[in-house]
Amino acid sequence: MHIPDGFLDAKTAMATAGLAAGGLAIALRQVRRQLPRRKIPLLGLAAAFVFAAQMLNFPVAGGTSGHFVGGVLTAVLLGPSAAVVVLASVLIVQCFLFADGGVTALGANVFNMGLIGGVVGYAIYRLVRRVSPGTRGVVMAAAFAAWCSTVLAAIVCAGELALSGTVAWPVAFPAMANVHMLIGIGEGVITALVIVAIARARPELLEQSVGEHADPGFGTVLVFGLVISFGLALFVAPFACSWPDGLDKVAKTLGFEHRAAGQPLLHSPIPVYQLPGVSSAAVATALAGAIGTVVVFALAFLLARLLVPGPAADRN
Amino acid sequence: MRHDFLDRYSRIDSPIHRLPAGTKLAIAVAIVLATALTPISVPVYFGVLGIFLVIVAVASRISPLFLAKRLILLEPFVLGVAGLALLQPNGGRVFAMIVIKSTLCLFTMILLSNTTPFAAVVSVLRRIHFPDLLTTTLALMVRYLSVLVDEAERMHRARASRTFVRNRRRLWKTLGTVIGQLFVRSTERAERIHAAMCSRGWK
Amino acid sequence: MNRDRESGERGAKKAQAIEIKDLRFRYTDGVDALRGISFSVNEGDCVGLVGPNGAGKSTLLLHLNGILPERLDAASSVFVFGHPVSEQNLTEIRRRVGLLFQDANDQLFCPTVFEDVAFGPEQFGLDPAEVAGRVHTALAQVGLSGFEKRAPHHLSRGERRRVCLAGVLACDPRVLALDEPTSDLDPRGKRELKALLRQIPATKIVATHDLELVVELCPRTILLDRGELIADGSTAQLLNDESLMLAHGLERPHILQHRHPH
Repeated sequence: MHIPDGFLDAKTAMATAGLAAGGLAIALRQVRRQLPRRKIPLLGLAAAFVFAAQMLNFPVAGGTSGHFVGGVLTAVLLGPSAAVVVLASVLIVQCFLFADGGVTALGANVFNMGLIGGVVGYAIYRLVRRVSPGTRGVVMAAAFAAWCSTVLAAIVCAGELALSGTVAWPVAFPAMANVHMLIGIGEGVITALVIVAIARARPELLEQSVGEHADPGFGTVLVFGLVISFGLALFVAPFACSWPDGLDKVAKTLGFEHRAAGQPLLHSPIPVYQLPGVSSAAVATALAGAIGTVVVFALAFLLARLLVPGPAADRN
Repeated sequence: MRHDFLDRYSRIDSPIHRLPAGTKLAIAVAIVLATALTPISVPVYFGVLGIFLVIVAVASRISPLFLAKRLILLEPFVLGVAGLALLQPNGGRVFAMIVIKSTLCLFTMILLSNTTPFAAVVSVLRRIHFPDLLTTTLALMVRYLSVLVDEAERMHRARASRTFVRNRRRLWKTLGTVIGQLFVRSTERAERIHAAMCSRGWK
Repeated sequence: MNRDRESGERGAKKAQAIEIKDLRFRYTDGVDALRGISFSVNEGDCVGLVGPNGAGKSTLLLHLNGILPERLDAASSVFVFGHPVSEQNLTEIRRRVGLLFQDANDQLFCPTVFEDVAFGPEQFGLDPAEVAGRVHTALAQVGLSGFEKRAPHHLSRGERRRVCLAGVLACDPRVLALDEPTSDLDPRGKRELKALLRQIPATKIVATHDLELVVELCPRTILLDRGELIADGSTAQLLNDESLMLAHGLERPHILQHRHPH
């Protein structure tokens, strides 16, 4: 999901760059305050680790292969702020050393994979953890959060592309969201497997991570929240706001009909043309997403039960 | 020594290689910004840029086959997403615009990364007062990339060679274990690096 | 077991570089790594530290410059030139004791050779001109002049090992503690390193499995096993004692087996 150069227009590139820089600045400040000195080399090593992990292909059906991003995994193991620093480093190196991801898109990539993938993913993880204790709970929460953050990041990416006039929202949204609902499963499963492997090899590493980042502090949470909300407002809300209209109209008719999408709050430079069924595709995707979320939650629960033996669930 | 994928050609000698890293970085970024962000109204600009990049490529003495391979490797994604752009009015024009811009920027960055050792880039970042924590992280990351990729490959090979049954579930579990082990080893190595840093006076 | 303290007593007039008094250490997982080790080393001596895996050799070396224990308390069991290893004088201790780690990759953490060798002098507060001077001298000492701009991942194992040594030498230590210095070197690399070490006048403590290295470099050997000091004496006698060697997971080195007994 590394956006290359040429896909984002100036205003989107600048907006994402600003938000990413802001988020990174907060993360750096938080890490400087909270990370013990002896763990500073760990940031660099973790970045190398994420890169190496991303290089391993995992086989998907039909000879294709999927890739792992590791945003939630990193956040669970190192805390959300350290994860942002680590992921930003990975993206910077990938951009400048491997031309993987554009320079103008660096802000967007950091925002999508670092802030949405890492921070929002971590927030979801913590929320789910409240209702699911123990090692099993960690595995389940992480797997679910990994899926969610993958899909969310994809949606934001779609919004950025749409805002830039590169790809129309009714095309981008279903394409990105659906594909990533599938990729997200791989991300969730791998995240779960890795956490289980670490829990078996060095359980104290996991306990450390789970305990140490207990509270990032109200101020940090607030600022991260603001940055992310701003991004969502800019890149997703304008398009999402048209859904109620779409849903409404689909509900009123029988079967397929050409529908003009509702007007977004921010007009994209190129007027959107409705191909038959395309707006329904967007709505269908949204519905699939809602159902998918519930299904994946259940799957995450089952996966955790499968991977973590009974008595271990009572630890913590 | 296998990790040429990192900067195989950054050590050969050529007029381009001899330019200071800061200059190359600044020029590359300027080109990318200009190319990616200006609207396509002057096709001549892209033509001129293309010729300029080819001249630089020749002057850099990097194997053209290598450059071509790197470019082709990164194209599918560009084409894939750009393909979606076709589904809108003016789609054809948008598509062409994206592909041209993207390819030119890719080429620029490929030339930059293969004529500039990353260590030099890190020095530049330090000089322009990039946040210290970030530059240290970047420096350590690039230093240990090859070490970790090596470890990951070795572990994966060792495990895969013990998996005789072509069981996809096993393969995934193996992957999870390998990545998990990699993380554990990375934390242990980070501790040893910290000890080595302290031994030479780091506080 | 016989504890031969001849070498220690004979050298009483020279300064005591290292003194260890009843050193004990337990890891957080409960393993007793060191169980009451005592010995001393005079300035300029070269001592080999041998023993099977898990004997505590590396753990012992990490105590020499205060890396272990993680929390230094007032009552230290380790003295460097008479000074106890404590929180207050850590910088001084680390200036005097140079530690060469087992894995050269762990110690070579900077993007270029120059930056890495310069790391120590910089941390100790020298000015840029002096730092550069030290770097060039150290690299020349290890035979790697001209390698300043090279990146670590482009170096061979032997070269990396030598850069690490240069990095330690650049700090101008009086004691050199080496952990398995020849472990991943080919025969030529070993020969080169041996020759290098012979020329360095600092006090040397070499923890190693390479018994031939000990025979050729160190007149005195200390044998550790399971955290205890088993024997301390002349290398020729200790390493020639077949039953002692075998009893502690080692072997008489070939180089001694082919020598005339007296």
